[in-house]
Amino acid sequence: MKSLIPTFTKVLSLMLPAAMLLSGCGKSPEATNSSGEKQLTVGVNFETLQTEYWVAGFEAIKSELKKRNIQIVESIADGDANRQLQQVRTFVTRKVDGIVLVPKDSKTCVPAIKAANEAGIPIVLFNRPAAESPDLKLVNVVADNRTLTRETVAFMIEQARKSGKKHKAMVIIGDLGDINAVGRKDGFYDAVKGNEAIVEVVAEVPSEWNQEKARAGVVNALQANPDISFVFSSSDFLFPSVVAALKSANKYHKLGEPGHVILGGFDGDATAYQMLVDGYLDATGVQDVYFEAEQAVQALLDALAKKSGPSMILDPGFVIHQGNLQEKKSRMWGANVVRK
Amino acid sequence: MRRVFLSEYLVLWLSLVYFAALAPFTPGFASWSNFQTILAYLLPLLVVAVGLTLVLIIGGIDLSVTSIIALASVVGGKIMSSEEGWLAGHALAVPAGLMAMLLVGVGIGMINGFAVTTCRIPAFIATLTTMMFVSGLAIWFTLSRKIGGLPPSFVMLGQKLWIAAVITGVATWLAHVTLARTLFGRWLYAIGHNAKAALVSGVPTARVTFATYVLCGLFAGLASILFTAGLETGNPEMARDNLLDVVGAVVIGGTSLYGGRGRVVGTVFGVLFLALVDNSLNLLGLNFYTVTMVKGGVILAAALLDAMRNKFLARG
Repeated sequence: MKSLIPTFTKVLSLMLPAAMLLSGCGKSPEATNSSGEKQLTVGVNFETLQTEYWVAGFEAIKSELKKRNIQIVESIADGDANRQLQQVRTFVTRKVDGIVLVPKDSKTCVPAIKAANEAGIPIVLFNRPAAESPDLKLVNVVADNRTLTRETVAFMIEQARKSGKKHKAMVIIGDLGDINAVGRKDGFYDAVKGNEAIVEVVAEVPSEWNQEKARAGVVNALQANPDISFVFSSSDFLFPSVVAALKSANKYHKLGEPGHVILGGFDGDATAYQMLVDGYLDATGVQDVYFEAEQAVQALLDALAKKSGPSMILDPGFVIHQGNLQEKKSRMWGANVVRK
Repeated sequence: MRRVFLSEYLVLWLSLVYFAALAPFTPGFASWSNFQTILAYLLPLLVVAVGLTLVLIIGGIDLSVTSIIALASVVGGKIMSSEEGWLAGHALAVPAGLMAMLLVGVGIGMINGFAVTTCRIPAFIATLTTMMFVSGLAIWFTLSRKIGGLPPSFVMLGQKLWIAAVITGVATWLAHVTLARTLFGRWLYAIGHNAKAALVSGVPTARVTFATYVLCGLFAGLASILFTAGLETGNPEMARDNLLDVVGAVVIGGTSLYGGRGRVVGTVFGVLFLALVDNSLNLLGLNFYTVTMVKGGVILAAALLDAMRNKFLARG
């Protein structure tokens, strides 16, 4: 320990002048645009880029910011709430003008929101809301998960009604720690309520947003109930698991073919688009990622201009199906991913 | 230059060079608020890393540290939370919660120690199994939900930086003194060098190994307190993705994965270096893919330099 003291003295003697020298260099340069006005800088932090939806959302926000000539600083927390808090604090250190955040979850983001609030930096949560708290100042931009799921499942029930027979149904639910997953589960049951004569729910598969768990759960449910003919997945990103399980049970057939399982999902990703084009998918609820990105950036600009606005902006989304695919596909982010 | 290269403080010098080289190009890197950000990120990681250093010195490994953090986090949350805690609002809620979090660490450390010493299961397998079981237990215990509403007197432990720094400093200092100044510390190195020779020399290897896993669990429990208080949430996925960061920091700090070599001070430098790299890359605002690659490259370079240094030292 004694040998450490001279070493630390040396270290300090190096660090102090360096810090003094650099303190002037550490300040964020204020960029200006062509008309000489200060250019805004926005920090964009996503919890993960592990699914196509988040990549599409990330790109949509960056594109919206670029369109408005706003500088971007980005970081990804890679699923780690502690790292996410550090990254938001680095945005504060960089003195960004606004923050767009996709939190790890609704609760662990609270210290990050507080850090932004204390620094007076407006913050918008994209697609995943924070736990309600009167002390926090923020805007949530989220899909209306419950309503959109209800509409999607109602469309699927209508197809079931047209088939003229009663269907046994399976619902694959997400991580119930995620408020979006809860909204989708509730929306599913809202739609089924009152339609029990057409659809009887016989299996509820918990996935925790994990493809392997979803696949195992769907396989087990199909073994226990081989006559399932109606499947709703709370996210399109679980479709590869659902399709694999349906194929192994010889139940994956196109619309109109005998043995077709009425299939629906939520998100509007590239897999769902391809399944719609190929004629296997009945419907999916599309989150309008472009609408959400536009609203998130606008909410930041409104906050900077001291304009008051709602603290919750809902994306109504839309149901896409075989009947409106051509008309709606340009707003379906998954279709644009496929085109790219 | 040769002196610096061969110095046992090489990683500290590297951290300083890295800091000095990046500061002019990294907005805010040399600011006071950023120093606080780095510290807030570094402290809980350091506590876990110090516990792991002890286990690595005896030639073991503990893969369950992050799952201990997760389980302790939700157990503490379940006791203290004003929304759903068993002792919500009770004066003893916080002390009981803190005690329970530490006991979770000690309990799982005992299971690991028992598996490695009495059952003679290789440490990698024993702690991998514990990790899987405990992670599952944490998720089952809360049904994947996060626990909010933690008392302000608890949250303060992670959010008042000086309190977290004192807790971490005391724990780190105690570990350093134990390793450097006590018979127990010398036994750890002896077991790591050659467990059979240590046994023949009269070292109670089984008891010492058992105690080391318990200590590692205790440090993970303590880290859980800092993580949980910092995020104001009991989280069954707390620190799930930090295992490689922690192992990386310990190894960069000069602790051998084969046992017999390592120091707590080295671990401090390793964690500092990792935190600096992480923080600077965030401040630079590089895209995610670049950050991941650069971070991997910088850590690899540091590890290579350290390996070269050890090779030179071994040649005398």
